[in-house]
Amino acid sequence: MVQPEQADARQPVLAVRDITKTYGGVRALSDVSLELMPGEVHCLAGENGCGKSTLIKIISGAERPDRGEIVIDGVAHPAMDPAGAIRSGIQVIYQDFSLFPNLTVAENITLTSAVADGKRLYSAAALRPAADRIVAELGLDLDLDADVERLTVADRQLTAICRALVHEARVIIMDEPTTALTHSEVARLFALVERLRDRGVALVFVSHKLDEVLEVSQRVTILRSGRHVVTAAAGELSPAAIAHHMTGREINEERVVSALPIDAPTVLDVRELNLAGAFEDVTFSLRRGEILGVTGLLGSGRTEIAEALFGITRPDSGTVHVDGAPLTGHRIEDAVRAGIGYVPEDRLTQGLFLEKSIADNIIAGSLDRHRSRSRLLDRARVRSTIQSLFERLKVKAPNTRAVVRSLSGGNAQRVVIAKWLATQPKVLMLNGPTVGVDVGSKAEILEILRNEAERGMGVIVISDDAPELVSCCHRVLIVRRGRIVHELAGDDVTVSRIQDRMAA
Amino acid sequence: MTSKTDDRTATPMEGIDDRYQSLLRRVHVDRTTGRMLLLTVLTFGLFAALNPRVFLNPLNLQNIAVAAPEIGVLAIAMMLAMLTGGIDLSLVAIANLSAITISMTYTAVAKDDPGLAESLMPLLALEGVLVGVAAGAVNGLLVSRVGITPILATLGTMQVFNGIAVAWTGGSTLYGLPQSLADLGMSTVGGVPVLFLVFLLVAVATGLFVARTPAGLRAQLQGANPVAAKFSGIESSSVLMRTYTVAGALGGLAGVLFIARNPTASADYGASYVLLVIVIAVLGGTNPAGGFATVAGVVLATLTLQVLASGFTAMRLSAYEYAIAQGVILIVVMVTDQVRWRRRRGPRRSAPSDAAVPPNSHQTLNSGRQS
Ligand SMILES: Nc1ncnc2c1ncn2[C@@H]1O[C@H](COP(=O)(O)OP(=O)(O)OP(=O)(O)O)[C@@H](O)[C@H]1O
Ligand SMILES: [Mg+2]
Repeated sequence: MVQPEQADARQPVLAVRDITKTYGGVRALSDVSLELMPGEVHCLAGENGCGKSTLIKIISGAERPDRGEIVIDGVAHPAMDPAGAIRSGIQVIYQDFSLFPNLTVAENITLTSAVADGKRLYSAAALRPAADRIVAELGLDLDLDADVERLTVADRQLTAICRALVHEARVIIMDEPTTALTHSEVARLFALVERLRDRGVALVFVSHKLDEVLEVSQRVTILRSGRHVVTAAAGELSPAAIAHHMTGREINEERVVSALPIDAPTVLDVRELNLAGAFEDVTFSLRRGEILGVTGLLGSGRTEIAEALFGITRPDSGTVHVDGAPLTGHRIEDAVRAGIGYVPEDRLTQGLFLEKSIADNIIAGSLDRHRSRSRLLDRARVRSTIQSLFERLKVKAPNTRAVVRSLSGGNAQRVVIAKWLATQPKVLMLNGPTVGVDVGSKAEILEILRNEAERGMGVIVISDDAPELVSCCHRVLIVRRGRIVHELAGDDVTVSRIQDRMAA
Repeated sequence: MTSKTDDRTATPMEGIDDRYQSLLRRVHVDRTTGRMLLLTVLTFGLFAALNPRVFLNPLNLQNIAVAAPEIGVLAIAMMLAMLTGGIDLSLVAIANLSAITISMTYTAVAKDDPGLAESLMPLLALEGVLVGVAAGAVNGLLVSRVGITPILATLGTMQVFNGIAVAWTGGSTLYGLPQSLADLGMSTVGGVPVLFLVFLLVAVATGLFVARTPAGLRAQLQGANPVAAKFSGIESSSVLMRTYTVAGALGGLAGVLFIARNPTASADYGASYVLLVIVIAVLGGTNPAGGFATVAGVVLATLTLQVLASGFTAMRLSAYEYAIAQGVILIVVMVTDQVRWRRRRGPRRSAPSDAAVPPNSHQTLNSGRQS
């Protein structure tokens, strides 16, 4: 039921008609149509793997549709090509950012426009003012001369956003632009989106954060399994209605925590951990079967604490005990051997072997556990571990031989979690476990964590998604400027308390 | 309209492709190996047709089977280094050093007691392999602990090992070796040269190592994405140390094969092997950027190039023409790879549309262009 626009006289800047796209045997899109009006923010929503990114790649010319057409200013094209799309004023912020890691931030921001313009001589210096302007306009604290490969995920995301905004674009497509951003950065981005809209720019916005979706967009299109479900004005939808259209079922986001036995033993004990410039005097413990939330603003030190526990950085002082035994050595291997697992924030580079199969990725952390007496891998056991995790985590792929690069964002995240579950850790730390994961899958992942905890694992969830923490955590620690400043437990774990304490 | 006709032609094509793939899977041959097998058979068939009298002569076939092993073992060693995303340029130098050590030790012992020296043959062969292990460990240390880029580290050690060999031999060719080793180089079992059996044994063992042991999988993962490997608790320094040491050991073994076949040792033997071995490894399906390799492919690539060399000799073509043919084959294979890749994934000309590149992106980006 396509909602007729009031301003019918206006032509859509961009429309796609009856797009179908298959990858091998997988149908990513079936007969999807979409119209984009000038001055509107059009949100694209749907479960992981429903085809949002594929549709965007077809619009930007990165992929060719099997069937259908792309209409720009009334001219129909059977397919786009990337340079042509940029020349027609289409800019895309890809989900994976697609930056050049060995170039600087400034070069990344300005390079594509120079290339698309067909400039033969590229001068970073000449384009530098443009980069400066956009960074200032967004009020960002971004080092333009840093190499992109050294940036945090959030800064890489901001760089990708700046690259799209530096152009005089008529259509800006943002594929999950806010996954790594803090509230204030999101607010500034939305303010800029409003200004662009006033200028008549049309925007497509993809996000799994439904409150964000409703805040920024005028219309919402929902896809399910590659098919168009509904297009409606944002005002007519509630988060629950969107979730229902996306998944076809009701999603339960309520708080479900098990009752911890009083005598549940401590599985992780951290005492007076210090690392200059990152965190101070961090002391907490985690019991078996407990899910502990750790939250704080970006840069508060929450990630640094996890990285120190996992042996990525070396703390200056302090002790860590796992199951009563002191953690000796400060390398990742030592942490893994002691039974600590870590699902990193940056799953593309740190979590996954993109060119390898799902099977290889799942088994990557637990090779030694699957050795037979002949020192070869026990193939039967390897296969059963892989298959059971693949099924339990409901990874959406034709089979376990599929290359991880072909997975949608949320499914890739499940593979990283599967890798760590295969190691049967005593303590599993997850940094942003449901970033980029759809509402339905998010509920499923939280349920998986609850189940693992019931079986005796200690789980630490690092996240700034307050509802998620409330939904699954027994306790929540709030980190501010490198210190644990609050601990919420039991009935005190509520969204409003967490948000108050974080900001205070 | 046009897109519709495209679609109709594309679907049956994909169907065939899928069926072909599942057929390959059922017989446990992957794409590269299947293609390599075809190439081997074609090359063989071509020369057999062009000059059957000389080429199919049993002596010629025997020659191929005797000459292939030393190159094949080196190519497998190269494949291992490439699997972890590196390269080992010092392999031929290691092999020569191994052969020279064997000859020197033999001569030194034989001066006093020829009988004893002769009886030491197995130990001498072991000594050659151990020289390789030591040299490989040096490479491993430089790459894993010191952190020098493999291509530079092994370029350096290649010069050093080579220099040692020249200084030690004074640049001359050594002839001392146990007769039994030279005999072994010429003996056959059921018509198959022993040297060739050694090669097959190495291939099977390496195949098992790469695909079926935790250490082998770690080497693959290390090559596929070093950062994710680190974050999965894989100790990269021990993976690299182990890989370069094993590669060195295989280099040492190749030295034993050198001396058994020729039977001489010198510092400048096999000067053209370094590049040849890289060609074979890549032709055999090894991804120079790391993460992917198949031993079967490398074995077939070795045979193909050996058949080619011998065929060129049978046709009375020169070594230069052989070198040109090597280059042409490599480029043709790389080009067909590219074309297939494009057809499968559709046009993906814009680099930005590729996923976020892992920090070893220099390699990844470069290899994207080459392979
Ligand atoms: N290169 C590819 N090869 C094979 N299958 C692919 C490829 N790219 C995407 N797919 C498949 O197409 C489907 C749609 O993927 P897409 O990335 O568009 O999902 P999405 O809606 O963006 O999901 P997410 O919210 O997780 O990002 C998925 O089933 C995915 O596995
Ligand atoms: Mg996506």
